[in-house]
Amino acid sequence: MSESQVKILEGNTFVVSDERGDIEASRTDPTGLFSFDTRFLSTWVLTVDGERLTPLSVDDLQYFEARFFLVPGTGTVYVDAKLSVIRQRSVGNGFHEELTVLNHDDEPVELVVRMEADSDFADLFEVKDALEKKGSYSRQLHDGKLLLAYERETFSRSTAISSSQPCVLDEHGLTFEIKLAPHGAWKTGLDVVTGVLGTSEGGDEGPTLAWQARRPRTNMSRNLARFIDEAPRLECDWQPLKTTYHRSLVDLAALRFSPISAGRHSLPAAGLPWFMTMFGRDSIFTSLQALPFNQELAATTLRELGLRQGTRIDDFRDEDPGRILHEMRYGELTAFEERPHSPYYGCADATPLFVVLLDEYERWTGDTRLVRELEFEARAALNWIDEYANLQGNGYIAYQRRNQETGLENQCWKDSWDSISYQDGRLPGFPRATCELQGYAYDAKLRGARLARLVWRDAAFADRLEQQASDLKRRFNRDFWVEDGEYFAVALDADGRRVDSLTSNNGHLLWSGIVDRPKAGAVVRHLMGERLFSGWGVRTLAVGEGRYNPIGYHVGTIWPFDNSFIAWGLRRYGFKREAARVAAGILEAAEFFDGRLPEAFGGYPRSMTKYPVQYPTACSPQAWSTGAPLLLLSTMLGLEPSGDHLLVDPALPSAIGRLEVLDIPGRWGRVDAFARGRVDTSPPDRRPRAR
Amino acid sequence: MEPADGISRFFQELGRREHEPLLAKVTGRVRFELVEGRRTDRWLVAVDKGRVAVAHQSGPADCVIRTGRALFERLCRGEENALTAVLRGAVVCSGDVELLFAIQRIFPGPSRERRPLSGARGSR
Repeated sequence: MSESQVKILEGNTFVVSDERGDIEASRTDPTGLFSFDTRFLSTWVLTVDGERLTPLSVDDLQYFEARFFLVPGTGTVYVDAKLSVIRQRSVGNGFHEELTVLNHDDEPVELVVRMEADSDFADLFEVKDALEKKGSYSRQLHDGKLLLAYERETFSRSTAISSSQPCVLDEHGLTFEIKLAPHGAWKTGLDVVTGVLGTSEGGDEGPTLAWQARRPRTNMSRNLARFIDEAPRLECDWQPLKTTYHRSLVDLAALRFSPISAGRHSLPAAGLPWFMTMFGRDSIFTSLQALPFNQELAATTLRELGLRQGTRIDDFRDEDPGRILHEMRYGELTAFEERPHSPYYGCADATPLFVVLLDEYERWTGDTRLVRELEFEARAALNWIDEYANLQGNGYIAYQRRNQETGLENQCWKDSWDSISYQDGRLPGFPRATCELQGYAYDAKLRGARLARLVWRDAAFADRLEQQASDLKRRFNRDFWVEDGEYFAVALDADGRRVDSLTSNNGHLLWSGIVDRPKAGAVVRHLMGERLFSGWGVRTLAVGEGRYNPIGYHVGTIWPFDNSFIAWGLRRYGFKREAARVAAGILEAAEFFDGRLPEAFGGYPRSMTKYPVQYPTACSPQAWSTGAPLLLLSTMLGLEPSGDHLLVDPALPSAIGRLEVLDIPGRWGRVDAFARGRVDTSPPDRRPRAR
Repeated sequence: MEPADGISRFFQELGRREHEPLLAKVTGRVRFELVEGRRTDRWLVAVDKGRVAVAHQSGPADCVIRTGRALFERLCRGEENALTAVLRGAVVCSGDVELLFAIQRIFPGPSRERRPLSGARGSR
């Protein structure tokens, strides 16, 4: 039988099962019903007359709903398929499963249908790291329900299982003794309800937090349809782009996550299913990518990250005043401070990017109210850059974790251990000041200045920020520039020396606008040259560097998200044709993944593999990969808010033909953008030129 | 005359702040219920866009935060984190959750030395 998994989810509640709909999790096996980073069901196995079932087919109806068609027996030949079983499951507060048994025979039949159930209440981190539990378990039969519970001091989590049809309950499951008439059917509804803390409805002051965690299920089909309806419509000659666009919208809808404090509003979580939580960096980048298509995601991201902005100095959480969080978790290990995610702040880019998103959001929407509302947070974020991130004492943002045990070493987006290296492969010490962080800081200061003048009415603050930005740009172009290679070093090490490998980070620098114009041509030649550009996209690390590996996580693979921002950067400096080439490469790669771009794919030359080689990851879809086609669409169309108008200045690959994006929302109301493919994106013989 | 314990000092000091910038966007009433045995001590903190008024009494509130007195003392000293205490169920919050996130900012941070492991803390 195939080992493929079936995943359905709603917010941070998700179910991973096998193709029979069964869950048989071991300590380290990531299957089960998860909610708020805790596994609430680790066993959920259906038998008929003591026999397991065999899957005929699975329908992934929606991201929150699946249907399993099964027959009894585990043999490979179905000699006797006189019975069939249908399980239809949808996620809510826990899940609901409609179990149907059909008798296809002319004779009546008596059957014993059994559902085994158990929970280990593992924290998501425990599933990853195979840790032992410290609390105690209980099983109770109460009020027609099987109640599984876990307690450790005041911490308690529970799972309540019940059936709409009569059954015999025992501590390990539910048993149904049923009689089916000839061609008859039997049906029951099974409810699995998760409980967080002492779940009660609360007193006069409204429901408890635990109760609010079990929010009513919205009509999810209608909600998904509305999300897609409200997004711009795309018409195009090239069918794969239509497929990719639709896939991106549906996946973006699935990746929405509503923190309890956000009411009905949602923001993009980082990835499905393991990263269905708030991540500063991922939520901000994805909101930026999606701005021309959905603006509520950005507004919620800004509000919720602002609400949880750091206010204290806390070494365990790597928290500083003004710092924007990295990751938020709700499980047992977080609750007992065995992990720092309550929230964890060890991330050096989300704070300046918070200001970048706030400004870009205002440019698209004209929503100055939110800018006013978040003035304190934006000022605190700008203050963090100078007050708390200047770890090398040279005015650059640098990072070094203070939580040495469970904190993150690399606090930039390339967060694996070997991502930042010298040309010869050596790794620099800490603190490290990676180059893209300086670009984000520069951009944040200029955008902060614009908001200070426009909304906060503080011209003196704006002047100061602009002065700082211009000073930063001057120093950066001197200190990070690798003279003989004509590109920007990936970082400065603890001694202020250049970490001199050639990386995709150069593209982010274009996006931020920190690159001196005379240097841009050389940077673009590198980005589009053979060492970085594979034909599909720009590699994270250039061929020829000591640590280059075409299937190394951040040292040679191609990241669609990275490339979408590189394309934006190329446009910013006027390199339209080059931006179109990057867009074409990534969108053509998407075709090989049925429109769902993976987190990363191999850096092999396109001429060698003919198709993009997927890098194996546990998480799909990933939010910022889902957002990449959206940002590429807006860079190809050259969408640019200008006051109350939307400028359209297309540079479209000729392979795409005709492209229309209709009803683009913004401060202008809704407008349409049209383009015709005129850019030949086949590899050029000549060097790129600025246009 | 109230006993000058850590909790009273914390609330008195909070009440003396005319304007708390960390609560500048906050408007609402939070009732703290501090339980010790059979006795429940109630403090009402009313915030109006950063202006804070504290009263040592009960009263209607938008958000109620209920916990043991000993734990609350540790919160006032920066030895305990309010959000992990909520996740553990050691602090029970009802009503407006946004107020919880906002009001927990008033508790001090840990001192720069590693905090001693409290009973609730696991080994790391």
